Amino acid sequence: MVDLLIIGAGPAGLAASIEAASRNLSVTIIDEFTTPGGRLLGQLHEEEKDVWWNGVEEAHTLHEKAQENGVELLLETSVYKIQQEDVYWSTHTSAGIYHSKALLIATGATEQSLPLPGWTLPGVMSIGAAQVMTNVRHVKPGEKGIIIGLNALSFAISRELRLCNIDLEGFFLPPDHFLTTDQAKPLSVLNNLMTLSHLAPMNWMRLGGKIANNNRWIQKQTLSFYPKRGINIWQTPVHVRKAVTSINGSTQVESVTVVDLRADGTMIEGSEENLEVDFVCISGGLAPLTELIGLTDLKLIAIESLGGYVPVHFEDMRTEVTDLYVAGNITGIESAKVARAQGVVAGISACIHSFNLRNDDALEIAMEKVRKERAEAKLQFHPEIEKGRTLLYSEKGEVQYG
Amino acid sequence: MTKDVIVCRCEGTTLEEIATIAAEYQCSAREVKLRTRAGMGYCGGRTCRGFIDYIVSHHSNHQELTLHHRPPVRPIPFALFREVNDE
Amino acid sequence: MNNFRITDHPILKIPSSRSVISFTFNGVNYNALDGDTIASALLVNGIRAIREHEESGQPRGLYCNIGHCFECRVTVNEREGQRSCITKVSNGMDVQSSKKLPTPFKKEEAQYG
Ligand SMILES: Cc1cc2nc3c(=O)[nH]c(=O)nc-3n(C[C@H](O)[C@H](O)[C@H](O)COP(=O)(O)OP(=O)(O)OC[C@H]3O[C@@H](n4cnc5c(N)ncnc54)[C@H](O)[C@@H]3O)c2cc1C
Ligand code: FES
Repeated sequence: MVDLLIIGAGPAGLAASIEAASRNLSVTIIDEFTTPGGRLLGQLHEEEKDVWWNGVEEAHTLHEKAQENGVELLLETSVYKIQQEDVYWSTHTSAGIYHSKALLIATGATEQSLPLPGWTLPGVMSIGAAQVMTNVRHVKPGEKGIIIGLNALSFAISRELRLCNIDLEGFFLPPDHFLTTDQAKPLSVLNNLMTLSHLAPMNWMRLGGKIANNNRWIQKQTLSFYPKRGINIWQTPVHVRKAVTSINGSTQVESVTVVDLRADGTMIEGSEENLEVDFVCISGGLAPLTELIGLTDLKLIAIESLGGYVPVHFEDMRTEVTDLYVAGNITGIESAKVARAQGVVAGISACIHSFNLRNDDALEIAMEKVRKERAEAKLQFHPEIEKGRTLLYSEKGEVQYG
Repeated sequence: MTKDVIVCRCEGTTLEEIATIAAEYQCSAREVKLRTRAGMGYCGGRTCRGFIDYIVSHHSNHQELTLHHRPPVRPIPFALFREVNDE
Repeated sequence: MNNFRITDHPILKIPSSRSVISFTFNGVNYNALDGDTIASALLVNGIRAIREHEESGQPRGLYCNIGHCFECRVTVNEREGQRSCITKVSNGMDVQSSKKLPTPFKKEEAQYG
C-alpha cells in the first residue's frame, strides 16, 4: 500500500510524483513504455532560433528528480483495470495488483487515424510512430515517406524527420469520406492552418503571410491560385489541393496514388498519379486517452477544443470521485509544458485533499503557472483551448455531462 | 471508396459495412459491434471505437455512446483474465 | 541490414557504444543493438511485416509504436500477445509472429478425413 499511485510516467505523472514525494508521500508510478517520459521523449522543437525543446533531456531531468525524492517507478507494466475499494484504490497491472490511498491518472493522449484504402499495409504508421522511431529508437522509418493530414503535429514532426535526413514527398490531404470530413476539405484545412499562425517561430508564418488571416474570400482566392508544386515548410511541400486516394503495395508500402482537387475539394478526373514511397505517416490529431476513466464513476464530457471526451475535473486536478486525480493530456490536448505544470498541481492537490497537508499558497501558484504555460505555449493544438478550460472550470454545473 | 476503407483493423470491418448495419437495424453502437464484430477484436476497439460511435450516430437514430469501458482495457494473458472476470 | 540506423544527429545525442546482441524471428537469426525494441530491430533488418492477420493472412506492421494499437503483437519466448514496439530485445530472445489461422475443417472433412 502506497500513499499515491500514478498511472503514466509522462511529464504530468513525473512532475506530480516529485511534488508528492518531496512532501513525504510514498509514491509509485506505473508505465507500460520502456523509458520514463511518455510522449515527451519524442519531442524536439525549435522554440526560438537555436533554442530547442529537447524532450529526451526534459524527461531525463524529471526522472532524476523523481528518483532523488524516492519515487518508485515500474516500467513495462500495463494497467488494465482500476477499482475503488472502501478506503483505497486497487490498480490491476500485468505485474500484479497495487493498492494506494490516492490515485492519479495521467495516461496522456492517443493518436487518431484517418482510414483510407491500403492503410493496413506494413509501412503505414501514425505520425507519432515515426517520431518515436527516429527520436527515441534512432531508426529511420524508411527512405522516403509521405504525410497524410495537415496539422500542428504533422508539421512539427516533419521537421524532426528532416533532421534525420529522411526524404519526404510532401503533406497531402486524406481522401474525402465520412470519417475524414474536415481534414479532407481544402477550405476547412486552410482555415484551420491559419489559426496556427502563432506558430510563427516554426516558420508557418511564412505561409500565413501569404494567405491573409481569417478572410474567407482571400482564402478562397488563395486556394484557386495555390501552386501545384505546393508551398514548402522546412523543405517539405504542403499540398492543400492534392489528396492520397490509396496506399499501394503487395506485402508492404510501395507507392501511393494521389489526385488533384479543385478548390471546392472535388477530384479532377484523370489527374491520378503514383508516387513511390516506402513509408506513409497518418496524422489525424490527438485525443485524450480516457479508457481507464471509463471504469470509474467519473463522468466524461465532450469539449472539442480539448480534443474530445475529457474527465470532469476541477482546476486543481481533483475529481468528484474521492481520492481520484487527473493531470496532463487526459484532461485536454496541450503541449508538454502545460502537462508538466498540471502534474505539479495534481501532486500538491493530492497532498492537500487526500492527506490533509496544510493548504499554503503553493497550490494557487502552481495553478497560475499552468495558466501561464497555456498562454505562452508555442505548440497549440486548438485555437480555443482557453475557452474549453473556462467552460470546464468556471461554468461547471451548466454544461451537460456525458 | 467506402467499401475499401477498413475502419476496424483487427476485424477488417469496412466503413460501408458499419454504416449499412447501423442504417438497416437503427440500433446502438453496441449492437452494431455485435453484428459486425467491428471494435470487438484483439485491441478492444482502441483505434476505431470513436469512429464506430460517429458512424452510428449519423446512420442510426440511437444516440447512446459506448464510452463506458469494460475491463480489461488492455488484452491480458488468459490466467489473469479469470481474475478480472471473477470480481 | 539496411541503413536505417541513425548514427549522428544535429541536436540529439546518439549513444555510440551499444553492444550487439542477437535474437531469432520466426527461427531466423538477426542482430540488434542493446536497447532496441523488437519492432525497431526488425525494421533495421529490413522486416516491416511483423505478423499476419489471423483470418485474412494479410501482412501487418507496426502502426502506433507506443503500445496502443496492438498491431505489432508477437509471441516472445512463448508468451503470446506481446507488443513488439514496447518490448526490448534481449540476447537469445525467441520471437515468433502470429500466422494466419488454418481455416476450420469443413464438416465432411472432419468426419471422413
Ligand atoms: C504520438 C504523440 C506525439 C506527440 N507529439 C507531441 C509533440 O511533438 N509536441 C508536443 O508538444 N506534444 C506532443 N504530444 C502531446 C503530448 O501528449 C504532450 O506533449 C505530453 O507528453 C502529455 O503528457 P502526459 O504526461 O499527459 O502524457 P504522456 O506523455 O502521453 O504520458 C502518458 C504515459 O502513460 C502511459 N500509459 C497510458 N496508459 C497506460 C496503461 N493503461 N498502463 C500503463 N501505462 C499507461 C504511457 O505509456 C505514457 O508513457 C504528442 C502526443 C502523442 C500521443
Ligand atoms: S505498434 Fe501499436 S502497439 Fe505496437
